[in-house]
Amino acid sequence: MFKFLKNKKTPQFNGKKEKNYTFLASLIAIIAGLLLGFLILFLMEAVSAESDFRIPFIAIKAFLTDSFSARKQFFDIFYYAAPILLTGLSVGFAFKAGLFNIGAAGQAGIGGFFGVIAAISWGLPWWAALIVAMIVGFLWGLIPGLLKAIYNINEVITTIMLNWASLYLVRLLFWNVGNAEEKTLLNSIKPQEVDKIFIHNPGGVIPDWGLQNFFNSDNANIGIFVAILVAIVMHILLNKTTFGFEVKACGLNKNASKYAGIKSARTIILTMGIAGGLAGLAGGVYYLSDTIQYTINNPLLGIGFDGISVALLASSSPLGVIASGTFIGFLRASTDSFQGYYEAEVTNLILSIIIYFSAFSLIIGQILNKIRKNKNKNNLDNANAEPQVIQAKKSSDSEEVEVTK
Amino acid sequence: MDIIAIIISNTIVFAIPLLLGALAGMFSERSGVINIALEGIMIIGSLFAAVFLSTLVGDTEWAINHPQMAVFVSILVSGVAGGLFSLLLAYASIKLKANQVISGTALNIFAPAFAILFAYSIYGTTSDISIPRFARITPALLGWNVSEWPSWIYTLVFKGLFLTTPVAIILLVVSFVVLYKTKFGLRLRACGEHPSAADSVGVKVIRMRYIGVAISGVLAGIGGFAFSLVNGLTHNPDVLGYGFLALAVMIFGNWKPFRILFAALFFSFFKTIAVVSSTLDFFPTFGLSYVENLYFILPYVITLLVLVFTSKQSRAPKAEGIPYDPGKR
Repeated sequence: MFKFLKNKKTPQFNGKKEKNYTFLASLIAIIAGLLLGFLILFLMEAVSAESDFRIPFIAIKAFLTDSFSARKQFFDIFYYAAPILLTGLSVGFAFKAGLFNIGAAGQAGIGGFFGVIAAISWGLPWWAALIVAMIVGFLWGLIPGLLKAIYNINEVITTIMLNWASLYLVRLLFWNVGNAEEKTLLNSIKPQEVDKIFIHNPGGVIPDWGLQNFFNSDNANIGIFVAILVAIVMHILLNKTTFGFEVKACGLNKNASKYAGIKSARTIILTMGIAGGLAGLAGGVYYLSDTIQYTINNPLLGIGFDGISVALLASSSPLGVIASGTFIGFLRASTDSFQGYYEAEVTNLILSIIIYFSAFSLIIGQILNKIRKNKNKNNLDNANAEPQVIQAKKSSDSEEVEVTK
Repeated sequence: MDIIAIIISNTIVFAIPLLLGALAGMFSERSGVINIALEGIMIIGSLFAAVFLSTLVGDTEWAINHPQMAVFVSILVSGVAGGLFSLLLAYASIKLKANQVISGTALNIFAPAFAILFAYSIYGTTSDISIPRFARITPALLGWNVSEWPSWIYTLVFKGLFLTTPVAIILLVVSFVVLYKTKFGLRLRACGEHPSAADSVGVKVIRMRYIGVAISGVLAGIGGFAFSLVNGLTHNPDVLGYGFLALAVMIFGNWKPFRILFAALFFSFFKTIAVVSSTLDFFPTFGLSYVENLYFILPYVITLLVLVFTSKQSRAPKAEGIPYDPGKR
């Protein structure tokens, strides 16, 4: 059965497989994005009143190398990568079923909120709190899934609506559940802020297993390992199970999969649920690291939207998400290096250019394939003598036949 | 009476950017291109109009003598900026056949970052740009004597009245006429429904889609400017998700101009209720603290419910989101 699942869509061409250039295309997009982003820095320098062209060089050097200058900075890459890796998995998994989950921000927000509640108010250990976050995200993700499967409402709209609904729902819940009156959640001095988790329940914080000492960083925890583990699980789920096959079939052609006996409604609902669960887990990893101040007036979480970039850059492949998540984690970690020279938004500018170019991956892949094709053609032209030889053989064969007659 | 006037005028005020954004989405999707970049285009339109109005012409004599003329030119500026910016989406998704959602997302990330960097490189300190107060339409400007009007009528008419409001209404009517009463509109819709059929009778699908996206960019750019006007006369590098909400309003309005108007007003009404709920006593609290958050959830949940009840009639343009490939005809 598994062999059948492995059957990937690789059209045959000239007897040779058409190569899949997604990785190369992403790489080209990244390089082009970085170069264009840096070019913009120079342009900005040229426009500004006191242009000093040494500054962009210093900033770019800091941007590219700071993360590797010390252990603390190095770990920050993975610290930023862990939650966006998970939201990337969430968005990517939904993409596989042909669904666009913009709602990762809301799912992460509400999941993370319940994770914090579980750790502080219910006194659960960190892994149980993460599971709570995941379950809440799963339930929140079921809503757009149900609306899509039963009423055929575009999931883009429902997830956008649910993002904002979750934002206000979390605020409402914040003030009305979780023992807000007994001030266990709330900081007594700053009532808009939630107490740090370790004050109430040290076991509720994601452990670091000695990483904090090694990397000399308060940000160090095992969140990244959780994220990578989940990515591997998702890879197996997508590529080695019947359910994963159904998800991909739904994404490629909903009607055909229905015809083939796949319950597409059930698949869509479950896919959105799982995507929500992954995003919820991301929210849990984000807040239970206990390095981020949970405030009640939180806007929508940026990790949800970064997840879209991560998934797009990895063309939704779970293992690719590990790489692209780490890369965008690197961009986020390097943002601090720009401080003092440029606004932090330069990172977003670079990211947007990368995404824009990665949208061309199809075209880049086609161009690369065309180059290959041309090469093959040239090879064939060079080897044109071969068919003639065969013909000659054939004719001589027939002659022989004639002779024997 | 005053409260009702405030609610009605606020409803209209916040419906205008939604209406423009949703009309923008409609033109793009009716031509077959999903325009998820509305949010980004709105920011760009708002940015250039604000820079134009507050920095380039803000203190000139011409602007002070002809304030509404200056606002009108700013509207044009926002439209042109939005239209040009949307061409990035058009080029990627029509010419290069890129995934429309991906390229749209890229523009959405790009726009706020660009707006912030641009504003910083001009003003040095802040990314918010305040728009001159003369942009507001006042009774004095119209030469009306309103001292004898009841206060609620004054509130109803002049609270948050900007040139964008009549312009938006004109654009709505024009959109309807263009889409349903002209050859161009018929062709545009054909490209969104069945591009190969349109192509077979000689409609240039690629060109129509470029035009559809460009119109979309112009309208969304103006919508962004309208948003920054009603949002306390300030340009922020952020339109608070209005671009995405406009997409929802467009679907709610079933890709039809006057239904979109209704949907925008409907959504905006519940949003206004949420805003005023905290200041008024007669909204029940259900024994909850900070109950205004409950009212803030309402517009989203009610819109979802309406979508559920109207889902049977909902009809998206058939070919939206699919790059046109003449080879597949």
